[in-house]
Amino acid sequence: MRYQNHLTLPNDVQEVPQLNAFVDEVCETAGLDMSTTMKINLAIEEAVVNVMNYAYPNGKGDVDIDAQINDEHLKFVISDSGTPFDPTVKAEVDTTLSAEQRSIGGLGIHLIRQIMDTINYERVDNKNLLTLSKNITKK
Amino acid sequence: MKTTFKEEEKNFVMYFEGRLDTAASAEVEKSMAPLYECTGHDIILDCTALEYISSSGLRLFLGLLKAAKPKGSHVYLRNMNEDLRQVFAMTGFINLFEFI
Repeated sequence: MRYQNHLTLPNDVQEVPQLNAFVDEVCETAGLDMSTTMKINLAIEEAVVNVMNYAYPNGKGDVDIDAQINDEHLKFVISDSGTPFDPTVKAEVDTTLSAEQRSIGGLGIHLIRQIMDTINYERVDNKNLLTLSKNITKK
Repeated sequence: MKTTFKEEEKNFVMYFEGRLDTAASAEVEKSMAPLYECTGHDIILDCTALEYISSSGLRLFLGLLKAAKPKGSHVYLRNMNEDLRQVFAMTGFINLFEFI
């Protein structure tokens, strides 16, 4: 393990800029370019905002973000102790539809799938654990 | 995140500056309200200084497009950088909007 870092946020979307700063720092440490960093920021924001919006329907709760970098992968584990929810089973959005037919939802998980290399959901000890990783092996 | 609304040669133009993330989207949604009164005008969303957009921002753009189309108004995205274009490509939104 070369590097790890952690951030805990309350379920308030106004905290997203703090998340972005955290992800920027992790990606910079991993030596990623600005374009890749922006996309990873997008994937992590979508996953974390999903937890903020839906995990705690009755009030306040936290979302934990653990980042790890090794020689091959950049890995984020996003966890919460809210309602069981597996975002990976959500149906694919159809990106070929017209504007009239496109619905407003489902884009977040779609973007995560497009950007990250592996996505894994587990329910462990009454927590939702969503693991997102990106291969960063230098060519 | 900053937005500026201007009327330029009969077009409704909104300038976006900064990061359109989930935290910014509620405020940006309010600032976009004048664009919905677009009958007889085309809309230009100027993205020259837009650095980032997440799905909450994409939803605002799609919502505007859906409202503008039946009024006969075009929605153009102006000067969007390559990274953001890739986000529009990933979601298929690249086929919905007109890029200038």
